[in-house]
Amino acid sequence: MDYASMLTELLKGLLVSVEIFFLTLLFALPLGLLIAFGRMSKNCIVSNIFRVYISIMRGTPLMLQLLVCFFGPYYLFRIPLTDPYRFIAVIIAFSLNYAAYFAEIYRSGIQSIPVGQYEAAGVLGLTPLQTFFRIIFPQVAKRVIPPVTNEVITLVKDTSLAFSIAVMEMFTMAKQIASAHTTMIPFVAAGAFYYIFNFLVAFCMERLEKRLDYYR
Amino acid sequence: MWKKMLSIAVCAFLVCVFTGCSEDKGGKKFTVGFDSSFPPYGYVEKGEFKGFDLDLAREVAKRNSWEIVLRPINWDAKDMELNSGSIDCIWNGFTINGRENSYEWSEPYVDNSQVVLVKKSSGIKNLAGLKGKVVAVQTDTPVQKALSAKGSKEALGKTFKKLIVTPNYNNAVMELEAGSVDAVAMDIGVAQMKAKENKAFVILPETVITEKYGIGFKKGNTALRDAVQNTLKEMVADGTAAKISAKYFDGRNVLIIKGAVKKAPAVAVKAVAPVTNAMKKAQQAAEKAAGK
Repeated sequence: MDYASMLTELLKGLLVSVEIFFLTLLFALPLGLLIAFGRMSKNCIVSNIFRVYISIMRGTPLMLQLLVCFFGPYYLFRIPLTDPYRFIAVIIAFSLNYAAYFAEIYRSGIQSIPVGQYEAAGVLGLTPLQTFFRIIFPQVAKRVIPPVTNEVITLVKDTSLAFSIAVMEMFTMAKQIASAHTTMIPFVAAGAFYYIFNFLVAFCMERLEKRLDYYR
Repeated sequence: MWKKMLSIAVCAFLVCVFTGCSEDKGGKKFTVGFDSSFPPYGYVEKGEFKGFDLDLAREVAKRNSWEIVLRPINWDAKDMELNSGSIDCIWNGFTINGRENSYEWSEPYVDNSQVVLVKKSSGIKNLAGLKGKVVAVQTDTPVQKALSAKGSKEALGKTFKKLIVTPNYNNAVMELEAGSVDAVAMDIGVAQMKAKENKAFVILPETVITEKYGIGFKKGNTALRDAVQNTLKEMVADGTAAKISAKYFDGRNVLIIKGAVKKAPAVAVKAVAPVTNAMKKAQQAAEKAAGK
């Protein structure tokens, strides 16, 4: 096998991995905030529902969640599946799973802000919504960047789980080429791609952290 | 209290690890690599490995007084497993066609064509009916290769709307049942078993490709290949293999390898130590001359 065609195969797979990556972040980052609010709710029924949700999402393997998301509608509810649903199921499973992790990170960030700030905002006549978005969130955002970066990097590597429901992402391509030609080179190349991808992610997050370096 | 429990747990773990090591009895081990989700050739039932190929392998090991180790492998990594020596052979519905030069092969022992499994309700009657349909195949199988670009059945593959590659057969069949794919191209043995289990499935009469199964050994390992193959032939000759086949294929004998009666055991030759090769030849010639 010539290297050019091997690389094009891998890049095709990389494109799928990148799609999974960005779509998951797009849905999981905001969803995580909603779950964090649910988890911190003063209503104990609501907060317990979200507590259980986070517990299940963190306590079961992502691969299992992928299989349930894809096959669940048919085997539980007898809704016939279609082929395009495959990719949608990947995004749903990844988003639901990662949102649970992000929620706990946000919660730690939000709860680290001293009560005095809420009181001060209240004295100044800000509504609770204004208090959150003008005062609390800008401080939370900069505090949660390092743990969020951790999760985001894990997400890059977790995209390889998508093959459990037959979505051909980069690592699957690498495995196929490796088994067809009995060579380790595709693994090395895939490893390099993952590393570069994560290097860029870490770099961007670092830049973002610097940008958010206000209140100094 | 917790410390005590922890130390007990650690001790238990260490005991397991060390007893696991001491199980090595020094006898020859015969490690068979297989895909544990490939019924009826190799699969898990009630927590045990079962299957046509695994029963054959067990019998071969028993007759050679080898200790058998059944090692389920990641099908994508089978070459690395074999070449690194972590398994002795791949024996699990392993297709020779298209891989002739990659392994030290036994003689073909099963004829296995690739067929297409569809839902009865789909109305698909032949391969031409697959035009514009979504078809699933298992990853790294000959039928995947045949239907993909540069494969022998590329023209047929191009008529499909999409070729979905699944990690294993079970997922492909689940997808067929759930409706996310319209057809599954798979081995006839597995297809027949699935069609028997689920009356909603039907096998198309045309085959996609015809192929044969063999046992794959590492290139150059002819000694082990010959030993296994000879034992397998004996099993065919004395009917044991047919019995195993009947158990997994509704009484059918799927074996195509010819039986051979056991040769004079090697031990007997050794016992008459002074007999040299030349003397043996002379003796055989004499026997022939005597019309034996």
